[in-house]
Formats: sequence, C-alpha cells, structure tokens
Amino acid sequence: MQNFRCALVFFLSLFVFSVVTQISAAALPDPTEQLKPVIDKVVSLLKDTEFRKRPVVDQSEVIVKIVSERFDFREMSKRVMGKQWRTLSSEQQDQFIALFTKLLQYVYINQVDDYLDKKIEFIDQRIRRDRAEVKTLLVGQDKSIPVSYIMLLKKDTWMAYDIVIEGVSLIRNYMEQISTVLRDEKFPGLISMLEKKITKLEAGEKDE
Amino acid sequence: MFRVFLFSLFILGNCGLLYAADGEVDFLDDAFYEETPEEDAIKDPFEGINRVVFTFNDYAFMWVMNPVATGYSELLPSDIRGSIANFFYNLQEPMRAVNSLLQVRFTDAGTLLARFAINSVGGVGGLGDPAAIMGFQKVEASFCQTLYTWGVPDGIFLMLPLMGPTTMRDVSGGLVDRFSVTPFYYTWAAGWEESVGIFMGKEVNNLSLHLGEYEKVKEMSVDPYAALRDGFYQHRRQRWEGSVVHHETENETEDEIGAWLE
Repeated sequence: MQNFRCALVFFLSLFVFSVVTQISAAALPDPTEQLKPVIDKVVSLLKDTEFRKRPVVDQSEVIVKIVSERFDFREMSKRVMGKQWRTLSSEQQDQFIALFTKLLQYVYINQVDDYLDKKIEFIDQRIRRDRAEVKTLLVGQDKSIPVSYIMLLKKDTWMAYDIVIEGVSLIRNYMEQISTVLRDEKFPGLISMLEKKITKLEAGEKDE
Repeated sequence: MFRVFLFSLFILGNCGLLYAADGEVDFLDDAFYEETPEEDAIKDPFEGINRVVFTFNDYAFMWVMNPVATGYSELLPSDIRGSIANFFYNLQEPMRAVNSLLQVRFTDAGTLLARFAINSVGGVGGLGDPAAIMGFQKVEASFCQTLYTWGVPDGIFLMLPLMGPTTMRDVSGGLVDRFSVTPFYYTWAAGWEESVGIFMGKEVNNLSLHLGEYEKVKEMSVDPYAALRDGFYQHRRQRWEGSVVHHETENETEDEIGAWLE
C-alpha cells in the first residue's frame, strides 16, 4: 500500500509538472515572430545599394541599432569570456563588451555579401523554458547552409546570444580563441588585439 | 512521501542536462557553454609545434594552393568542377558502404550501394548525382567514424602540413580511407608521379569549390589557430550526429525518460 501511494504521488507530480511547463510554454511570445522582422530589416538594408555606398563605420552604426533590439551583446560577451568574466572589473567588462560588439558587427557586415543572393527560410523553432532555438536555412543555388539563432527570454522579449552555423557555435568558437589569448597575453593583450583587428576591419583591409 | 516528490522534481529538472551527456550537443543547455576550453576534451599537448605547422600551412595556402585553385576555378566553370568532385566522391562510395556495415548501419549501407550503382550507371561514372534526386541522399561513413564507434579514443589534436586539423585517431582512419581508393588511381596512372598528380588535382578541385572560406575564418578571429581547432571539433560532431551510433550506453535509460517527457 505504502509503495502504491508512493508511486501514485510520483506519477501525479510528474504529470502536474509537465502540464505546468506546457501551460507556461504556451503563454510565451513566439521567438520566430520576434526575430524575423529584425533579420528582414537588416537584409533589406544591406541589399540597398545606396546604403552600401556609405562608409563602413556609418553602415555598422545603423545596423547595430536595429540588431540590438534582438541580439544581446552583453550576454554574448559574458559567455565568450566564460569563467574569466567574474575576475574582470566592471570597467574592463564594459570595455570588452564595446570592442567585442564592434568586432561582431564588422564580421557580420563583411560576411553578409555572400548571403545576399541567398534566401533566408525560417524552418523550425523549439522552446525549452526560457531558451529557444530558431532554425533557419540559407538557401543558395547549389548549397543550403543551416543557421540557428539561440535565444534567451528576457521579460517578454527573446534576445539572441548565439548563432550556430552548420553546427558550429560562434560563441563557443570565440570562447576557445579568447581563452588562449588570455592565457598567452592576458587581458591588456586581448584588448589591444581586438582594437587592432577592428581598425583593420574599419579600413576595409583584408588579411595578407 | 515528500522525498519521492522531491525525487521526481529532481529527475524533471535534470532531464535537460542529461541530453547534453554522451557527445550530443544541446545549444539550449548552458552546460555546453560552461565547460571551459582547457578542461574539456581537446587534448593539444603539441600546441607549440602545431602552431608552427599552422603558420606554414597558412603561407602555403595563401601563396600556393589558393592562387592555383583560383586560377583553376577561372579555367573551368563551377558545374564541371562540381562534376569532377562528384566523380571522386563516387569512387569512395563502396568504402563508405563497408564502413556502414562495420558500424552496424545496415540501412545506410544499402543506401550507399544504391547510390554507387545509380550514379556509376545513370550519372556517367559518377559525374552527376541522380541518386540524390531519387531520394538516396549522401550519407557520411568513414573509417574514422568506424574507429569512433568501436570506442577508439580521439587522442591528441594534430595540425598536419597541408592536410590541416585532425586527431590521432582520424589520421589513422583517414589513411585507411585514402589508401582504399588508391588502387583505382594505380590502374590509370603510369607511375606514382601520376597518382600523386591525380591526388593533388582532386585536392585543388575540391578547394576551388570552397574559395574564400578560409580567409573568412581568419578575418573574423582573434586567434585563427584556436578558431580552426574548435571549428574542426564542432563541425565534425555536427556532421557525425545522427548517423553515428554512440558507443556509450550508460545514459540510454535516462535518455529514454527524457525522450518520453519531451
């Protein structure tokens, strides 16, 4: 009897818990619906030849304003730093966020040329608690590239903090790089390296 | 009684974490981001030498391979280069079927044999890929995967001259994969020089289809070596996911609970 009651409580609590999580999932805003307009806006801007004639610094300022609605650069910077984040002073954190955000912008603008002839399809999404993955497909002529946006729910808006391209997480990849730079050159070395990289990208230079 | 309740909550709370176990990656899970690079699976004791090789490869790529492949890509239109790549891909197909069998993936082995037969006949010796249109999609099955399925550990990370990033296990697996098709080369080639020529031609042809990708990686990274190393592991895991049978079985029951809840 005791066993039976135990089992009953066990399954009952399982049931209640799963129902509760499902209800809360149903009340959430839709991540795809929130992400799509921002992506569409950026793509249409980047396709605009008039806009593309402006200096790179100008372009990136406009784009970062739009993108900041849905992309959480603070969260990205924090994750990229990993455990080191807590060892930094708040000024250092802000300094890093500013530089890393800039780097990501230029990377995005420089890469996006390749994607302009491709179509973005929103194929799927999944939500678990306060996390969501929005799956898209960049459809090109001879090749399609899967790109996922990993998002976190903040109040009632979904904010992206990672982009996964063909299974490679961008944040995870930067995390790996930054940990080796920090190991070899410490924080000041990382900052000067980022600054150098950014001036290069601003000038539109390519690596030799 | 209360303890049972707590226990059930505990299982539910953890089912998310259980997914991350056993090589499978869930990007919605923080565990994926929290493991610090130094602690996790990547073993790179020869980083110093590897970085030297990386610099060498970088120069070789930027000054030799890339210009050659760029010139080549201007000579031949992309559909012809695609056909050449298909041709070499098709040669490897029987070996993929053998590897599928070694990995106990019978359906995939059937698919691969069907692909080989259809593409060799209908695709004029493998130049086209009509099998994909008929529903037999490309499946990856290499000897590297077979070794993985059999539980051979990855070993250390290696940066090989001209070949790029790999691991100890994948070097041996890759050698088996490569040598298994060289008899084909020998039957056409007059001597080993020609075999090497065919091999290099194949590599240049493949590169010509991926021009600019490496420069992109370099342009956006603060440490290109670390970027390439991590990219190699992440990309491989994604390619293998779904097709490769995991050899760890301890997590199976927990995964079943998770799957049932999902």
